[in-house]
Amino acid sequence: RDELPRLLDDGHGVLEMPSGTGKTISLLSLIVAYQRAFPLEVTKLIYCSRTVPEIEKVVEELRKLMEFYSKQTRESNNFLALALSSRRNLCIHPEVSSLRFGKEVDGKCHSLTASYIRAQHHSNPSFPVCQFYEEFDAVGRQVPLPAGIYNLDDLKDFGRRKGWCPYYLILHANIVVYSYHYLLDPKIADLVSKELAKKSVVVFDEAHNIDNVCIDSMSVNITRRTLDHCQNNVDTLHNTIHKIKETDAAKLKEEYRRLVEGLKEANVARETDVYLSNPVLPDEILQEAVPGTIRTAEHFVGFLRRFLEYLKSRLRVQHVIQESAPQFLKDIYDKVCIDRKPLRFCAERLQSLLRTLEITDIADFSAATLISNFATLVSTYSQGFTIIIEPFEDRTPTIANPVLHFSCMDPSIAIKPVFQRFQSVIITSGTLSPLDIYPRILDFHPVTMASFTMTLARTCLCPLIVGRGNDQVALSSKFETREDFAVIRNYGNLLMEMSAIVPDGIVAFFTSYVYMENIVASWYEQGILENIQRNKLIFIETQDAAETSMALEKYQEACENGRGAILLSVARGKVSEGIDFVHHFGRAVIMFGVPYVYTQSRILKARLEYLRDQFQIRENDFLTFDAMRHAAQCVGRAIRGKTDYGLMIFADKRYARADKRGKLPRWIQEHITDGSLNLTVDEAVQLSKHFLRQMAQPFRQEDQLGLSLLTLEQLESEEMLQKIAQVAHQT
Amino acid sequence: MASLSEEVLLVVKKVRQRKQDGTLYLMAERIAWGPEGKDRFTVSHLYADIRCQKISPDGKAKVQLQLVLHSGESTTFHFANESTALKDREAAKELLQQLLPKFKKKANKELEEKNRMLQEDPVLFQLYKDLVVSQVISAEEFWANRLGGVTNTDPAQYKYKQEVGISGAFLADIRPQTDGCNGLRYNLTADIIESIFRTYPAVKQKYNENVPHNLTEKEFWTRFFQSHYFHRDRINTGTQDIFSECAKQDEKGLKSMVVQGVKNPLVDLLSLEDKTLDEGYGVCGAQPSTSNSNRTVKESSNYAIIKRFNHHSAMVLAAGSRKGETPTDQASETSSTDGNSRDSDFFQPPVKKVKLQEEYEDLQQENRPKTVPLNLKKSDRYAHGPVPLQSQQYTTSQDIINSVNYIQHEMANYKPNLTQVLSSTVATSAISALSPGGVLMQAGAQQAINQMVPSEVQGELKHLYVAAGELLRHFWSCFPVNTPFLEEKLTGHLEEMLQTAYNKFHIWQTRRMMRKT
Repeated sequence: RDELPRLLDDGHGVLEMPSGTGKTISLLSLIVAYQRAFPLEVTKLIYCSRTVPEIEKVVEELRKLMEFYSKQTRESNNFLALALSSRRNLCIHPEVSSLRFGKEVDGKCHSLTASYIRAQHHSNPSFPVCQFYEEFDAVGRQVPLPAGIYNLDDLKDFGRRKGWCPYYLILHANIVVYSYHYLLDPKIADLVSKELAKKSVVVFDEAHNIDNVCIDSMSVNITRRTLDHCQNNVDTLHNTIHKIKETDAAKLKEEYRRLVEGLKEANVARETDVYLSNPVLPDEILQEAVPGTIRTAEHFVGFLRRFLEYLKSRLRVQHVIQESAPQFLKDIYDKVCIDRKPLRFCAERLQSLLRTLEITDIADFSAATLISNFATLVSTYSQGFTIIIEPFEDRTPTIANPVLHFSCMDPSIAIKPVFQRFQSVIITSGTLSPLDIYPRILDFHPVTMASFTMTLARTCLCPLIVGRGNDQVALSSKFETREDFAVIRNYGNLLMEMSAIVPDGIVAFFTSYVYMENIVASWYEQGILENIQRNKLIFIETQDAAETSMALEKYQEACENGRGAILLSVARGKVSEGIDFVHHFGRAVIMFGVPYVYTQSRILKARLEYLRDQFQIRENDFLTFDAMRHAAQCVGRAIRGKTDYGLMIFADKRYARADKRGKLPRWIQEHITDGSLNLTVDEAVQLSKHFLRQMAQPFRQEDQLGLSLLTLEQLESEEMLQKIAQVAHQT
Repeated sequence: MASLSEEVLLVVKKVRQRKQDGTLYLMAERIAWGPEGKDRFTVSHLYADIRCQKISPDGKAKVQLQLVLHSGESTTFHFANESTALKDREAAKELLQQLLPKFKKKANKELEEKNRMLQEDPVLFQLYKDLVVSQVISAEEFWANRLGGVTNTDPAQYKYKQEVGISGAFLADIRPQTDGCNGLRYNLTADIIESIFRTYPAVKQKYNENVPHNLTEKEFWTRFFQSHYFHRDRINTGTQDIFSECAKQDEKGLKSMVVQGVKNPLVDLLSLEDKTLDEGYGVCGAQPSTSNSNRTVKESSNYAIIKRFNHHSAMVLAAGSRKGETPTDQASETSSTDGNSRDSDFFQPPVKKVKLQEEYEDLQQENRPKTVPLNLKKSDRYAHGPVPLQSQQYTTSQDIINSVNYIQHEMANYKPNLTQVLSSTVATSAISALSPGGVLMQAGAQQAINQMVPSEVQGELKHLYVAAGELLRHFWSCFPVNTPFLEEKLTGHLEEMLQTAYNKFHIWQTRRMMRKT
């Protein structure tokens, strides 16, 4: 792993390392060491991960590293590292934190801490405020957080002890760990990550889906319901303005004056009055003043009305329309005479107005915010976006349900500021193959691209490609044979046989919910599920997250108490993305079919077209890449380290083809032998039996010494160093 | 006769035993049968000796009652009175049902303990049969160090035997059979009924509400199998079904389980995402609506199946982890119908911190006491079991390489000499000998030994093996020989025992050989 130092100096990198091999710790220790050696070169490490548990894990690793440092150097270091999360995970206010959804928490918090609320509290002490925030504002603001490692719970603890709100303890830490939304989603990044120093190192962990995150954060969908909500919002705004005008006209004048001066606002207001901020505000907007046409409150409300009416008229279509942003802007100019410039200021103007009108419940105004964000986005970017208006869903052509999709097709737009700003950005995950496609779709030039494999004392993973049933029927989830009973039956047989020989947990992934539901139904009719139940309990992922969580917990319980269970799940679903099945929670993963994305959707088609035109990536290449990264992701859930072991069964004959197989991560690919390319169910069962028996033998420290585990003496010996250098050379 | 002075609780006439008519007497402490016209009992069992009673199925022509004794013997009574046979049998059964449990408690405690151990452990039972019944060692010796272990350890531990869980497939085990004329028959055993009750407390509640007064037992189960509650993929049609309420209750239970949320933060999908996109953002905003209104019939039935499986598995799991609750304990049963109030107590997720910290065992200092690892010379053999012994010479790899080279060499210089060829018959036989299954190809046919040997032989061999192991255990437990008693045991009868065991094996072997030839 000698690639890293080079990388830290300047530039960006893409690294693929199998999970559980100490990816996190080696990155952390290297960067921290670098930070200690050259404190001026690298001032900050920003570590972005995907889920809350993953974030917390990183902090725990870091804590261990720091403990090791202080043990070795015998001095306490003054590193400050902390995890950052949303209010929902950090709030310690007894009332607010009992709420279950992030949006509610945000809204409630805002209604207790906004500056005008606090001003009212000053004049009238019975007005409720958050005592934690008050305390923080009074005392905590000047006192820095003592050095150390803070996980989410530690932050909460600290807050409780001091009586300060932990959410606002955002400080100048040496290492910050948070979700990558905080950096990529412009709506939040603006608040949290704006002041990060240029000399920071950014690590995106579990970043195989990073392009989708980028796209999601820039895309907007507008339905009729959104418009109705927005209509209500505008009416409320109108009424409030009316009222205020009678009582406190000076306020509006004050706002007007401020808008003339430009959008630069006092920092205090910004920190407390957290609105859903603006998607990628181009710098020039901040410099310029808000155009005159929407400067007064009434005018702006009128402007919003007009814009809304226009959108409504656009949604009254009978057929699908696809157009680009410039076309849309031209149309809007022709029809309702709205210029591009005021549209660009729409989002910022709305926020200013909401602040002036002292509206407490910003959650209510999400529809209006959405519309104004859309306005700003559509007028800012002429490239990389497309507008699709669908009058109905494809599945139900009789029910009118018009949707306007404003979808981003270029993930590099959202991530561009990150690459530009920070001196080195590292993208890493267990499954990033093929490596070269990421720099292309994210539009950056990496200094280093490397895929590492695992050095194993025993082959603890066993990838098998099952291409045929026992009756020689080709197994595949491709569209033509999808409904074929023979295929479904053989899939059932595979699962049944596996349930008999694999201990503890089996996880099976399907390509989509619909496919899974159909298969489960026909397995039920054929009595296959009953036979499986003889061996293991069955749990099935549903579209409802709470229900699935329950099923998951029960699944783990069943694995825990030795009964054994099967979890039927969906690739691209929530389970495949965020849940690890360590050790006995997943002794085998079965991937039924190749998880291609639903190719008929217009948004995807538009994106594929864009990729072809802009990046010269062929549709098929991208689709295969996308399918294979999801398959690898699913299958990789089972192996979380070298002491873990598991079967990986790819049940589709298409996996045997070189173009599919070649896109699997190297650490999986190198264990696929030619002999396991097109197995029947029976052959797979035999191989699995053999593998499981071997793996069940005790695995001790001595077996690994010199291979995947080095003692200090070995590490220092000349011979071993050469060997390492040789291995590093190969990669 | 002394027995006549006993209190007679029930007399049933016309009861046949071993094709002999007679009368069945149920008395205070025993059950007895005497043949017609004679004044003595040919069959007499103390209740304490009876392990259980069995009855013939309802539809059978013969109405019978079988008593199984602790010793393993059994006695069958045939109720032969045509008009009242069934009623007679029911009366006897009911009475026995009341009496037997009383006497069970009275039985010798130690005997009971031994019995229990033998019943619970089939291997031990077999061992007992092999060693004690065939008089290799005496019963006392057999029990000596087993019961010793029992009394030394905490008896409470043995008192609560581990609750047997419920098979996940118990509903699948109820195989419907066609009875020939357009109907289905389900065979229900007490076990299955128990499983159903334990898994679906709602059904049990219904049973308690309805069975004695409104419906007979048979009717109840018939309705159960007809209901869409059992066939969950059928869509709800009528509300007359008594089980529709059960379904609703289940639904409620499932919902409350879902609302309760999960305790393990690592699997809580709701809180996994740090920042979810707000409504309206994102690419796939137009999710297919999950509401039931615009689902097709097929879809909602599929959805119901999925839900049912989740619920079923959860309930089975919950029923398995329920401890110390006897099935008669109705109050607690009904109060916790949703299946989660109890498992919340039993399934405590480990502290979050522990889960977050991934530990590598191999990087830790080893503190545990050193154990002797199993050192397998041939791990392959361990994994696959023995292969049939064949007269084969082991060739070293060098030999093989040499011979391959030699053959290659030969082949290179091979010139067909067409005048000196084999006759066709010889050639055919050579080919057949060389093809798979032929005489010369036996080494290639890797047939596992467990496929070659019939299972009964395997079973017998296993028993002998276990028995011999037990003897060896006795043997080794004598070391170190530090008491005269041990010495005596060792030199005296242990040797004898081993000899007996060996003889037994020898006998078996020769018998097998004889049968084979």
